[in-house]
Amino acid sequence: MVYFGPNGAGKSTTMNMITGYIEPTSGTVIIDGMNMAKKPQKAKKQIGYMPEGVPLYTDLTVKEFVTYMAEIKKVDRKIRKQKVDEIIRQTGLKEVERKLTKTLSRGYKQRVSMAGALVGDPKILILDEPTVGLDPKQITEIRNLIKELGKTHTIILSSHILSEVSQICNKVIIINQGKIIAVDTPENLERKVAKNNSIYVTVEDPEDKMKTIQEKITDIEKISFIQEDEDKTKQYRIEGKEGVDLRKTLFTELAKENITIFEMKKADTTLEDAFIQLIDEGGNNHVGSN
Amino acid sequence: MWAVIKKELKSYFSTPIGYIFIGVFLIAFSISFYFTVLQYGNVNFEYIYYSLPTILVLAFIIPLLTMRSFAEERKTGTEQLLLTSPLSITKITLGKFFAASIIAIITELITLMFFAILCFFGMPHLSTALATLLGFLLFMMAYIAFGMLASSITENQIIAGIISIAFFIITWVLPDFNSSLQSFSFINMFYKYTQGQIDIADTITFITFTITCLLLTITVMQRRKTAK
Repeated sequence: MVYFGPNGAGKSTTMNMITGYIEPTSGTVIIDGMNMAKKPQKAKKQIGYMPEGVPLYTDLTVKEFVTYMAEIKKVDRKIRKQKVDEIIRQTGLKEVERKLTKTLSRGYKQRVSMAGALVGDPKILILDEPTVGLDPKQITEIRNLIKELGKTHTIILSSHILSEVSQICNKVIIINQGKIIAVDTPENLERKVAKNNSIYVTVEDPEDKMKTIQEKITDIEKISFIQEDEDKTKQYRIEGKEGVDLRKTLFTELAKENITIFEMKKADTTLEDAFIQLIDEGGNNHVGSN
Repeated sequence: MWAVIKKELKSYFSTPIGYIFIGVFLIAFSISFYFTVLQYGNVNFEYIYYSLPTILVLAFIIPLLTMRSFAEERKTGTEQLLLTSPLSITKITLGKFFAASIIAIITELITLMFFAILCFFGMPHLSTALATLLGFLLFMMAYIAFGMLASSITENQIIAGIISIAFFIITWVLPDFNSSLQSFSFINMFYKYTQGQIDIADTITFITFTITCLLLTITVMQRRKTAK
């Protein structure tokens, strides 16, 4: 599951409340049936939290840090050592375990923080912006790690990067200004917003016949000219009637009219469109929930 | 709680802070030793403790131990790790307090070396020396507890340090303004221990002050959860 929203939407605040770092002004946080306000010790044991900005104790080595996290999370002394080793291996930190955390690169720090969250076998992992500040390679690595962990844990993460969301999550909560705007799967969200059935075409059209093409193809709802390029090709956006795929018709009909198609592209709605549309509509409109 | 104590001690000695604390204190103590013993030929152990260099340096090095405790955790965000762990705030606070106190105890133990040297030259009074050590420990613990309270209310270590030093100096000079403020001075309270008397009232004052500061620290930390 992912919390998703623009900067300042309240993602981190929500996470801080879930983890018991701050208390909500109203309402209750219930973790696995346990009330955070009444049984904080038990509720907190179910959670592994990786805060934003990966705070680490810089005077400790990686192994010391993970061990310390295991100690404060009350991992049984007998299995502590073994668990710590296991997690260090799982997060790929074996070769740096003796280094001080302050000497590590950002990507490794992120892993150490993740290791700290994983300690103590929490049922729920809460990751606040886990890929911020990483290079593309590290982002892929962290994402793979998250996907891997997602098989065995419930993961709640926050993000404002859209491609990330559709890649690793199966449920999205979009929030803006502290309000939930939408709760759904990424696919459903895309589908809900995917009202448009448009195609972008780039054509060479010396006789300027595109303007009248709508009369020939009745399925076209609207044609709008976008721009003319330097090589005399023109770009149009063609909107079809609902449920009609225009691509085949366009291909044959335009050829008959002596218009050459250089490029044809179906406009795909992404989560990006969904996001922008939902944010624009404001917090008033609730787009379904499951 | 043990985990916190262990980690704090590790931090003290993996950074220069622990060494600076012990080292600087011992330098001041040695200077004091030189003047009382070598210059004036006095073999009283308690006089070395109750001397200007020793007490003056204490004002500046105790904040070294305490100013980081909560301020830095808040600044770097590691506070989030601590407060979202199943450890209670009370245990976290006590853990940090005991870690700093252990450093103070270690320092006191090292000064016993000077007591051994004195034994070569004369017959220092053992029970007075022990009373002095106890008094000094209570004195330091009270100051540590206050330093931690100062650290819990700010995220800037320097401010935390300055508040602590200011507090120390104020309680030091207070009796000079008005003799009715005598009983508010920790140094006057400590003086009685160096006379070989363990005053119940003073002991209780030190302990209550320490506990009050710790309780206030816990309260501040708990309040911060709602006041953000």
